[in-house]
Amino acid sequence: MKHQFSLKNFVLCMTLALASIIFTGQSVLAQVNIVTSVTDYAAIAKEIGGDRVEVTSLAKGYQDPHFVDAKPIFITRLNKADMLIYNGLDLEIGWLPILITGARNSDIASPSAIGHYNASVSIKDFLDVHTTPIDRSMGDIHPGGNPHFMLNPGNGIPVARGIAARLIRIDPENAAFYEDNFKNFVSALKLKISEWETELAPFKGTEVVTYHKLWSYFLDWAGFKNAGTIEPKPGIPPSPSHTADLMRNMERDNVRLIMAANYYPTKTASIIARKTGATFLSLPVMIEGRDGIDSYIELFDALVGEITSALKNTKSSNQNAAEFNGG
Amino acid sequence: MKFRRIFFTLIITLFISPAITQQVFAGEQNDVKSELKELRKMMENMQQRIDELEEKNEALEKQAKEKEETIVVEEETDLTVIETPATERQGFLQKALNTFNPEISVIGIFAAAWYSQDDPIVFAEVDPENTGVNVQEIEIGFQGVIDSYFRFDTFLVFGVEGVELEEAYGTTLFSLPLNSQIRAGRMRAKFGRINQIHRHNQNFVTLPLPAAQFLGEHLNPTSIEANFLVPVPWYMELSALGGSPDVETPTFDRDENANNLARLLYIFHLANFVEVSEALGVSLGGSFATGVNNTGRDERSNMYGIDLFAKYRPLENNPYQEVMLQSEFMYLDADTPEENLENWGWYAQLVYRFAKRWNTGFRYGIIDTNTPVQEEAGDIDGDPAGLFTLIRNEEGEEEEGMLGLFGRTYRLSPMLTFNPSEFSRLRVQYDYLNQDFTENQHAIFLQFQYSLGAHGAHPF
Repeated sequence: MKHQFSLKNFVLCMTLALASIIFTGQSVLAQVNIVTSVTDYAAIAKEIGGDRVEVTSLAKGYQDPHFVDAKPIFITRLNKADMLIYNGLDLEIGWLPILITGARNSDIASPSAIGHYNASVSIKDFLDVHTTPIDRSMGDIHPGGNPHFMLNPGNGIPVARGIAARLIRIDPENAAFYEDNFKNFVSALKLKISEWETELAPFKGTEVVTYHKLWSYFLDWAGFKNAGTIEPKPGIPPSPSHTADLMRNMERDNVRLIMAANYYPTKTASIIARKTGATFLSLPVMIEGRDGIDSYIELFDALVGEITSALKNTKSSNQNAAEFNGG
Repeated sequence: MKFRRIFFTLIITLFISPAITQQVFAGEQNDVKSELKELRKMMENMQQRIDELEEKNEALEKQAKEKEETIVVEEETDLTVIETPATERQGFLQKALNTFNPEISVIGIFAAAWYSQDDPIVFAEVDPENTGVNVQEIEIGFQGVIDSYFRFDTFLVFGVEGVELEEAYGTTLFSLPLNSQIRAGRMRAKFGRINQIHRHNQNFVTLPLPAAQFLGEHLNPTSIEANFLVPVPWYMELSALGGSPDVETPTFDRDENANNLARLLYIFHLANFVEVSEALGVSLGGSFATGVNNTGRDERSNMYGIDLFAKYRPLENNPYQEVMLQSEFMYLDADTPEENLENWGWYAQLVYRFAKRWNTGFRYGIIDTNTPVQEEAGDIDGDPAGLFTLIRNEEGEEEEGMLGLFGRTYRLSPMLTFNPSEFSRLRVQYDYLNQDFTENQHAIFLQFQYSLGAHGAHPF
């Protein structure tokens, strides 16, 4: 009798244990589902959210974020999302709005929803803001300002703060966890920023030519000057006459570096580089823009590394050339 | 004796004095040494003192810096800071743009056309009418969010035949049970693919034959539509629509006298999208539509459709190259007082975008029937036993109203498009039309299109 009774107890205990495992299992599985428009926000959200969040990016890091196909499968992903993070400033205007409408998800639909986070809201100063009247003869311009603000690493901090603040509101139980991760992210990033700034310091004032006007924030941060773009106007492919003008200006001002996002065609830039003797860098501009770049820090490690080494080479080759000429 | 003393003194002085001097100097040296020692000691002390001070200073500085840093970090890491909405920081221009006005767009499509015959055969209302320069359509769009529950999209079309309300519908924005979304108003129905695509987003100057024949320019009933997102690993949407086809289509008509829900138009669509790889997406859909056609009491049209769309676009290296294959099959089973009509048609088009601003394509379209009607059927006042009831509008309207087909018709259309920007377009197209009951027709088009206003979204 007694033995049977204890067996019953044992079964009861096992059931309770199993139930508790199932329940805790559920609470572990109850991750915040985050969908981002581009990879930069996905990586930062993952650093802050850790294993408490599940993150997917709609666009790939090596894809032009202006021209992403509004694939219906994205609607399915947004439909299940607890949080949407996107760049804003019209970067995704051609594809994200119809996806948000199709997603039928109140958590992310309205700009006032907690799960709807427009990263540009956290940025204090935009560049290339048009204060004079504009029209589309000026090319594919963004009236609110240049949307590529994540190319200044300093802007990663307010964006990360925005993401962390939203995560805390969506999932207050893990507030301390998110806050810790956020603080770690910021301190690591700040340390790196001062490192990058030291690396870039000797090249202050360098004149560079870019393909599209997406480097404004980076150039501003690095102290570089934009000596022109290969596109005659934003979004308009290069034309022979504009290219000829550009090359003349580059030779006059002795511009040694051409930078382009790696999703742009490289043909014209390579030709210009060959003819003017400048170095052409086709660079990743977003996380996962190239294999091995999986975090915001790795992105700038790659950018700063490649740009400074290219500039060192051109500098030394210039010196060599000068010595050779002098000799 | 005196000399001796002097001598001794001298000797002593000479010999001893160095010793004395030596002694004296040695004492002095000792003094210097000790002084040096002292100095050294002092210096050491001072160094120690300096070190100590420096250390102290460093510590203080560090403390101050830390304090400063913590202040900065506190500012930067303060998660309670309320974000200022971007609009508040924007200039006057942005404010004006961001007020509650709807997004307004105006899109004009024109076509210079040449036809090989005088009274050209034209299948859709917006296709170029005849040789000369034609207005295809001017579409004016007003779009925006109404409140937190609905958005409203309106498109008015000005064409040669006056103004038409092409679309005006509200869409729910809030979560509904079963992942559903309701659209209500007048809208291009989800029957197949081309019927959902506005003219300015289409790839050819003329509408594909089956769409023009069976759906009219577009099938846009005033209706209520429920769309369910089916929970499967891929994208699947089931749509059901009920409403009144109060815009003329050849296939369906409004029964104005009937007080019967069965005489409304019902359309069902199942859409699937599968991402085969990141470069290749395929969508496959099936449609069914049923409604009265008014050729007689209770005469119904049942229409079936299959649509396929595949897009191949490698994301790396060739960012603006893509290949799109689109094909639709439609089958119409229409009752008339005389006989059951069985018409079918399909088209397939391949478009290759070979540069950011350029694309070229080819389309084949065919419509055919198992039950050809006689040519005389078009003559309303003719033979009473004829098939005049096949012509829906007895008021003497044109052939577009014809439900029946005379025979087989196919059309070949190669096309080349240049988009100077996202907002303008130039397109040349050649149409070869072959009908087995009449002469062949050739046509050449030069289409130009302008878009003004809001940046429209690009549907997949």
